[in-house]
Amino acid sequence: MENPRTELSGHRVLVGNRGEIAIRIMQACLKLGVAFTAIYTPEDKESTHVSFAREHGGEHGLYMVSSYHDANELMAVADVSGCTAVHPGYGFFAEDFRFARRVVKRDRKMIFLGPSWKIIRELGDKINTKRLARSLGVPTVPGSDRPIYDEMEAENIAEDVFDFQLQQGIDHPLVLIKASAGGGGMGIEEVDDIDQFRSVYRRVRNYAARQFKDEGVLIEQRVTDFNHLEVQIIGDRSGKNQVHFGTRNCSIQSTGRQKRLEVAPGFDPSVNEYNFDANKVLDAITQYSLTMAREVGYDSVGTWEWIVTRQGAPFLMEVNTRIQVENGVSASIARVKGQAGVDLIAEQIRTGLGEPLGYTQQDIEFEGFALEYRLIAEAPENNFTPWVGTIDRFRWKEHPWLSVHTQVPKSPYNIPTEFDPNLALAIVWGKDLGELKERGLVFLKELELQGHNAAGEPMKNNIAFLMEKTPQILKF
Amino acid sequence: MLNISDLLEQIKQNPYREIVVRTPHTGVVNFADIKQGQAVHGPEGQWKERSGTRLATLTRERNPKPIYAPEKGVVDKVYSEYENAFVENATPLVTIRHHLTREEVENIILREALHLFRAPERAKYYFTPEIDAKMKSSDPGSVVIRDGQELFIMSRMKRELPLYYSGPEGVIYAIYFKPSDNVDADAPLIGVCPQEELPNIKEVIMRVQTEWQEN
Repeated sequence: MENPRTELSGHRVLVGNRGEIAIRIMQACLKLGVAFTAIYTPEDKESTHVSFAREHGGEHGLYMVSSYHDANELMAVADVSGCTAVHPGYGFFAEDFRFARRVVKRDRKMIFLGPSWKIIRELGDKINTKRLARSLGVPTVPGSDRPIYDEMEAENIAEDVFDFQLQQGIDHPLVLIKASAGGGGMGIEEVDDIDQFRSVYRRVRNYAARQFKDEGVLIEQRVTDFNHLEVQIIGDRSGKNQVHFGTRNCSIQSTGRQKRLEVAPGFDPSVNEYNFDANKVLDAITQYSLTMAREVGYDSVGTWEWIVTRQGAPFLMEVNTRIQVENGVSASIARVKGQAGVDLIAEQIRTGLGEPLGYTQQDIEFEGFALEYRLIAEAPENNFTPWVGTIDRFRWKEHPWLSVHTQVPKSPYNIPTEFDPNLALAIVWGKDLGELKERGLVFLKELELQGHNAAGEPMKNNIAFLMEKTPQILKF
Repeated sequence: MLNISDLLEQIKQNPYREIVVRTPHTGVVNFADIKQGQAVHGPEGQWKERSGTRLATLTRERNPKPIYAPEKGVVDKVYSEYENAFVENATPLVTIRHHLTREEVENIILREALHLFRAPERAKYYFTPEIDAKMKSSDPGSVVIRDGQELFIMSRMKRELPLYYSGPEGVIYAIYFKPSDNVDADAPLIGVCPQEELPNIKEVIMRVQTEWQEN
């Protein structure tokens, strides 16, 4: 991946995000020789992403804004600091096609470091994605393929989905009600009885209106007993060179269906037994994902999210037209032209700024296994309720097989309540699944994470949960 | 029983509040023609429909935003070094010395008189849809709540939890939060007055109205 950097050095990237992803974007910029400008809000003043920007950003390296959600703030800072590109990270504006369109169409045009806005509009919407997938013969979950705003219509679709499952011989059919504008597992509830539908529908609709300013909901079959898999795709600006960086298994989640532990690759039939040909399923979802990426001329990083049933039937759930939190596990096992040290965020920036991909699928190989732990201040035993308080001590032992990404500083840190309670990501590599689990547990045992809340009670975190789940990774 | 005379005396010792007017977002600042020592006024009119004295204009993305004095007072400091400069969010522009109004004094004293139900955590708070509907359709100070009643939705870190009221049965007399703003832990959310004490509260208000002189 050695490429001339002369064209990149004239760029400055606005880092339109916070926390660990902001740090990883800044690190990637430094690696590529690209200047950056970071932003922060008053709640984040203690975050390491702020101190990192102060230390490495130079003049115009950091600005305080009123909100990460205010596009005008980002544009104003980009203009005053001379940014030529905007990296949205994940969340916030990452999948907002209007924002991406504004970046590239305004008077002082910039580059949006993500897919083109037309692709975000097409694939970023779960419903369009479903329609496109169905048109290409890619399997999807039965249910609505547009947001529903009308209660009667929603109930009719739910009845159809219940009936469909009964016809399939499913004894306990379930229907999911999902906030159409939601994401990351938020705003999803399930119903097992049509008589409960209306009250749950109203709750999700009201939640969606409060959190996402959009009352639209999707009604879908709730597929139970499945694994959650992903395919990592990257394409360059030509829209013609799409390659995949393998699969991930993200089945270990909170009760609110939020990811807690991700593993790459997606299955390991060499040590685990599956009711299906695991390699065949991984190949199938990879090829389906590439088919869709090629169809739309995908030109950045993106993730195709799948559910795979115990019988090995895959259904496409959605496409995330952004860099994902867990991109590091795929990078960790990838070798490009035999070289380790793949950085998908740097690849996204480099190709986003116009460099060709510079390698083909044949140049990409995979070695070993990797996992990512999401370290979170929460109480898994109490429905994963976020814990609010101050972190007093956060230490881990360095290892060559470990990388940790965090915005938590070494000094005491009040966790801001305005955002997700994610504290850190730890990525562990092993030559095989056995070594991976062993190393993962070594890391967790060596980890020190302590704090207290306003009442003086000790910090709650998910370390014990992650320890308990580590032996189960990649088992169906 | 609340000693209103003492409280009023205490407030009269220092009847001012310093207001730092800060930029609500980034932008280029241009100050209006204001100077230290100048009197400014806050929003006026029955519905506060007339803006306060214009202090500055903040221009961002070609949108000029006038920055007005939020309250009546005297300009204590103008941060004129920011004239024509691009500034960050929350940059101080003007400091105003504000003489407390009758309503503000009422609020200060009412906080002593009412039962305050406080935020257990820093979060955004919303009334439950049922209470919200009642509040909107009822006269002010007439919605009765009781101990153990589900009253709020507490929203932080994108998660929502129900919050139950604990305290004496009474009417919601004062609301101290805005649904879109974060409330710090231990800050009051509502002030509750048991119905039998409503006459006392009305007396507090009467006393303030007669004894507090506005400038």
